[in-house]
Amino acid sequence: MNSTIATLALQALLGRRRFLLLVAFPVLMVALTTMITVMTGLEDPAWTLVGELGYTLVLPLVAILAASSVLGPEVDDGSIVYLLSKPVNRHVVAVSKWVVAWATTLLVGAGSVFLAGVVAGGGDRAAGWAVAGLVAGTTYSALFLALSALTRHAVVIGLAFVLVWEGLLGGLLSGVAWLSIGQWGARVGHELSRDLPDPVGLPWAIGASVVVTLAALWFAGDRLRSFALTGDE
Amino acid sequence: MTQAPAPRPGGVIHDLGYRGYTGPRESQAKVAWTLFITSLRHAYGLGRSGRSKVLPFILLAIMVLPAVVMVGTVSIIGLPELPTTYAGYPSSMQVLVSLFAAAQAPVLFSRDLRHRSIVLYLARPLSSRVYALVRWASLTAAVLLFTAVPTVVLYAGGLLAGLDAGEETLPFVKALVLQVLLAAMLAGITGLIASWALRRGFAVVASIIVLIVVVGVVLIVQAIALEERVSTIGEVAGLFSPWSIHNGVAGSWGASNSAIVDLSTTWTAGYLAAAVVVVATCLALLVARFTKVGAR
Repeated sequence: MNSTIATLALQALLGRRRFLLLVAFPVLMVALTTMITVMTGLEDPAWTLVGELGYTLVLPLVAILAASSVLGPEVDDGSIVYLLSKPVNRHVVAVSKWVVAWATTLLVGAGSVFLAGVVAGGGDRAAGWAVAGLVAGTTYSALFLALSALTRHAVVIGLAFVLVWEGLLGGLLSGVAWLSIGQWGARVGHELSRDLPDPVGLPWAIGASVVVTLAALWFAGDRLRSFALTGDE
Repeated sequence: MTQAPAPRPGGVIHDLGYRGYTGPRESQAKVAWTLFITSLRHAYGLGRSGRSKVLPFILLAIMVLPAVVMVGTVSIIGLPELPTTYAGYPSSMQVLVSLFAAAQAPVLFSRDLRHRSIVLYLARPLSSRVYALVRWASLTAAVLLFTAVPTVVLYAGGLLAGLDAGEETLPFVKALVLQVLLAAMLAGITGLIASWALRRGFAVVASIIVLIVVVGVVLIVQAIALEERVSTIGEVAGLFSPWSIHNGVAGSWGASNSAIVDLSTTWTAGYLAAAVVVVATCLALLVARFTKVGAR
């Protein structure tokens, strides 16, 4: 963990237009939940919004934006060579950048899911979704950082993973839950509230989340260690 | 004797006597057509590096695969009809179609602006307005291909498996007409976003939010409106996403049953008008954007 690199990554994240998108979208989601709760007075539609929109879309999108913002632009314009030429362990570089993306994902992504849950009715169910958001947000941010270090198309591949694999195929084939970060997080949240889905075993959910997070972090550092600058396609 | 005028600063172009080009010149229409074909190929990664072919073709393969499986079940089990409707198929695959449009729009709209190679295009007898319209047309064609290929597979496969051509043709044609409208809207929206947000990832995520997240919100609002029996809210909400416009019109034409709200004839006309307005607005903004950028 190198505080200078983390500070620079934070500035890259905060100083750009994409941060507006990063914050505006969760705020909209919470506002919509509030509106629906107030207007209909029903809990079910609001909870649908927390689960279907907040947890399955807002959280991964925030993670993708945050993870690709701390690494992507530097790789895109090639200025990462100035960072990589410093005598700092590449794994430290990766971890420092991840900490920033991770904190942002938890604060903005999991935070907004929790807030929407409180608006929708609070209680155990909100806490359950918040814990699910913390677990899944951690894994998502590590995975997407590794993708950013691997390829320029990290955002598209990340979106395809979330939307096609976890969303489209996850809805059709129940077995996808065993390889779905979102479902692992939801399983951990299920311990707090029975209303969350219970797709896989708890040890698997925790173990897989930890393994993927650590492996992705190591992989991101390893990619930076043997980094090759290539042209734009 | 008058003094020679002081030499002006800057360079001088000497006529070295090279011959100019006096042969036939192609028209602007030919330039536009070439740009259209090139852009259409680039949208699928053809004529670009191998790595940029991977994503569009993987998405296309995932898009076509269920259609092939459905045709297979029809022919092997001998179902009397396809397990999906032609118009309902792209709608159930909307994540893939949106992802394709969002991922390939930056290829056509962002790269020339980011690397300023737009000036090379505009140095030709091709106005920035035509450039913007042609790029949009080729993205529309690319998205249309993306949805039409599985639809044609369903139709041709269904007929080969012995379905009745008289019953199948009308819904098939209706679905294709709707797909043209859908592709025009998707290309307009994603192209506009990609021409403003030049960072690749940023444009993709913004497009996805507009296309996929908004339609999710629309569906939730429509479901609530249906439950509370205030159908007008549901119908108005449907105007906010190209997907709900597509599904709504498809439902009222009897081409699919994937829409939540039932549209009256007036609303159907309203939806079609909304689609035209969306496309026209996007095109006007695109032209304005490229006129501004081209003037720099």
